[in-house]
Amino acid sequence: MRSTFLLTALVAGPLFLAAPAEAALSPDELKKLIETIDERQRSTGDYKALCYIEQKEKDKNDIVRELVVYRRDADQKLMFLFTKPKSEEGKGYLRIDKNLWSYDPNVGKWERATERERIGGTNSRRSDFDESRLAIEYDASYEGEEKLGAFTVHRLVLSAKAGIDVAYPVVKLWVDTSTGNILKRQELALSGRLMRTAYYPKWNKLFSDSKKSDIWFPAEIRIYDEVEKSNSTLVLMKSVDLHSLEANLFTKAWLEAKSR
Amino acid sequence: MIGHWVVLVQIAFRNLFSSFINLVIGVIIAVGTMLVVVGGAMLDSLDTAMSRSITGSLAGHIQVYSAASKDELAIYGGMTDDPSLAAVDDFPKVKRLLLGVPHVKTVVPMGINGALLMSGNTVDLTLAKLRGAVKARDAATASGAPAADLAEQVDSQKAHIRQIVKVLVEDAAKASVLADSHAVDDEAKQALATVSTEPFWEGFDRDPYSALELLENKIAPLVSDADMLYVRYVGTDLDAYQRAFDRMQVVDGQPVPAGRRGFLFPKFQYEEQLKLKTARRLDRIKEGLTESGKTIAGDSELQRFVRENQAQTREIVLQLDGLKTRTALARLNAALHSNETDLPTLLTRLFTTDDQNFMDRYRIFYEQLAPLLELYRVRIGDMLTVKAFTRSGYVQSVNVKVYGTFEFKGLEKSPLSGVTGLMDLMSFRDLYGYLSADKRDELRVLQAASGAKAVARENAEAELFGGGGPVVAEAKEGSIDEKAQLSGLKKAKKSEDLVARIYTPGEIEDGVVLNAAVVLDDPKALPQAIKAISELSAKEHLGLKVESWQQASGLLGEFVLAAKGILYFAVTIIFVVAVVVINNAMMMATLQRTQTLGTMRAIGAQRSFIVSMVLLETLVLGLLFGSAGAAAGAAVMAKLHATGIGAWSDAVYFFFSGPRIYPSLGAGNVVAAFLIILVVSVVSTLYPALIAMRVSPVTAMQAEE
Repeated sequence: MRSTFLLTALVAGPLFLAAPAEAALSPDELKKLIETIDERQRSTGDYKALCYIEQKEKDKNDIVRELVVYRRDADQKLMFLFTKPKSEEGKGYLRIDKNLWSYDPNVGKWERATERERIGGTNSRRSDFDESRLAIEYDASYEGEEKLGAFTVHRLVLSAKAGIDVAYPVVKLWVDTSTGNILKRQELALSGRLMRTAYYPKWNKLFSDSKKSDIWFPAEIRIYDEVEKSNSTLVLMKSVDLHSLEANLFTKAWLEAKSR
Repeated sequence: MIGHWVVLVQIAFRNLFSSFINLVIGVIIAVGTMLVVVGGAMLDSLDTAMSRSITGSLAGHIQVYSAASKDELAIYGGMTDDPSLAAVDDFPKVKRLLLGVPHVKTVVPMGINGALLMSGNTVDLTLAKLRGAVKARDAATASGAPAADLAEQVDSQKAHIRQIVKVLVEDAAKASVLADSHAVDDEAKQALATVSTEPFWEGFDRDPYSALELLENKIAPLVSDADMLYVRYVGTDLDAYQRAFDRMQVVDGQPVPAGRRGFLFPKFQYEEQLKLKTARRLDRIKEGLTESGKTIAGDSELQRFVRENQAQTREIVLQLDGLKTRTALARLNAALHSNETDLPTLLTRLFTTDDQNFMDRYRIFYEQLAPLLELYRVRIGDMLTVKAFTRSGYVQSVNVKVYGTFEFKGLEKSPLSGVTGLMDLMSFRDLYGYLSADKRDELRVLQAASGAKAVARENAEAELFGGGGPVVAEAKEGSIDEKAQLSGLKKAKKSEDLVARIYTPGEIEDGVVLNAAVVLDDPKALPQAIKAISELSAKEHLGLKVESWQQASGLLGEFVLAAKGILYFAVTIIFVVAVVVINNAMMMATLQRTQTLGTMRAIGAQRSFIVSMVLLETLVLGLLFGSAGAAAGAAVMAKLHATGIGAWSDAVYFFFSGPRIYPSLGAGNVVAAFLIILVVSVVSTLYPALIAMRVSPVTAMQAEE
């Protein structure tokens, strides 16, 4: 009897070790996880970040930019002001409601942009810099638990809700089980074609007086283009400032004034 | 020996009309010669016309570009995107050296690029005008300058927006009646209700920018976006270009003044893509009726145009402010003898056309309605905003004044050449975004300061997450001062300053040039000139690739080659048929003469004599009837040269390089036709001559009487 037990343990033991019990999240737990991701990144007050974008493309010069991102999440307002290099100074984007406008001081004109706009010609999108609205924009489903390097992660699939305009209709997320941070994100077109893979190796948190808790932001995003395989984009959030912004900041007039 | 040939010639002439078959062969030769004369002359005329269209429009006779380029040059565009070319090093030096090559008349710098035209829907465009007018008025007021005219402009644009709002409110009401829940949501309805009120417009001038933002963000999105327009253009020294290329002609407006920045639209694209769609469809219907002999009743495409015009009246309605709407109603009611109060209904009635009323309705549209409308998205004299992805990856926009439209004589209806605009070289360089050494250094400093480390895609997961170290860190709040971030050196370039500036030829030539057109004083010197320029480039280390216009023309060059190939193939088929027919006829003639030939052999005629006799007979036939055929061909060509041949389709228009071709006959065509027909005649007679040579006297004598 004892030998039978030992034999069973020897044969079946590795199988149990190889396939750990799937800690499937219940729908409530899944909803909570997504809401937590959003909530952590939400800023109740104003938010300003100094960002760096670097894009590498095969046989081309690197694209390098610095910009300031302004957010007022309560009103869903967002603005970018490019500060470097000199040729890009004063260019920007302004989001008001569902409108995303781009501005070029060289011609003094505003132009409508879509959710798929490549920010400053790079493979980054408006959503890479904005507050996280996953729970509002997507329906999530749980796919299982797996390893990402040394980390154990939940794998989720998110599908855009009807009538919501997003850059990508399907998003796959790999969320660290221990800290609840997104470590990897893949975005797919409606056809199912993989478009971008992004990694989030560094998350920073900063205490907000107005929120009375931490605001989380990805300090580094590495985006790999899945269509043009040789292209990659690096986004660094170099600094975040939570001081109040001017009341009339999210207006065309404010951005125009920066290059006048 | 001479006596021998005299006898042969006498026999040949004596036998000329001895047989009916000889007459048949003669007629074939005459018709064949005539066809060769006419076909050859036509082929040469078409080739000359097509070649002149291309060499005289953009390509020049020779194109030179950097040998370090990744792609081949395609002046008129290739199968894919525009080619990636490296810049020519030191264009002024290249030009100076090339002008020293025999037969080189001019060297014109160029560069080809493509861009998107920035545009919004009608409401966006009208609001942009209103915003511009408000800013100009406020600036004038602040500086104490007279602002009455500007205030009037603001009021005029406000009136237009109010009319648009009125139309949108009516649309929303109709959508509600039709229970079309998707058409306008509650938020939009609320915004429409707000901007429809008198207090909103009464308070507009107290805070115009807030009012504008409400209109731009809530109202303008209710109208569908305008199409993005891709424009391909050649940046060039416009002054040198206009002097060197005689096929280019300005159609509307004026040429770009010397040394100025400016843009000329290709007329084909201007009409096809920038004209109000309703007006363009009316033009297409008119062309169909008057030029192609179609009828609305019998042509499904014309019927579709009529249906689309009836249904798509919104673009016109949105263009008109309150006053213009009332004027349009009055004018159209008078012209159509109606009493309609709803403009869309009246427009639908105007565009309900058939073969009987079309020309009348066409006239009413252009005489009564068109003066109230913007017929083109971009007008001559407008400042055009062009946006391009530069070679260094940045998006760059420039404002450039539209001076007019142009077309290339002979290529007016060619979609390949009709979508390439002309731009000054300075604006081209701004949009091309060549990365100078200074700019490159600036980027290097930024990259070094960022401390960014490259992570290859293949190792990304192992490198970023393999260690299992902490992912989260506490951040310290920074204080970001955007004023400190902005260098303060750069101020927006004033587009009006750039438009007014006159550039010297030195400034125009000394900068990035991607390719250059070389125009020769004698097109026949093309091969020598290519050889000389190639040798010069190697000797002076210019690093140039040298190509003929046909190689450099991309798709259009290939199209010309293919067209010539088809024409030559057709001529070859004619010759093959002629050879077979003459061969058969000669065979019959030889077989008929078996007895004669046997008898001649029996009385001592050598085989070589028989062969010479048969061949000489054909040669004499060829000379005589060939002359008649050549004369007939010359007469036909003289007639065609005098009257010309009209192009019956757009494809033929391209071959003819215009609406009508006046082909001419060269001495070379006649000589070539003669030679060809004689060779064909002799070749076709070789086998019958061989048969004749083998006829034995015995066979001839055994033949039945």
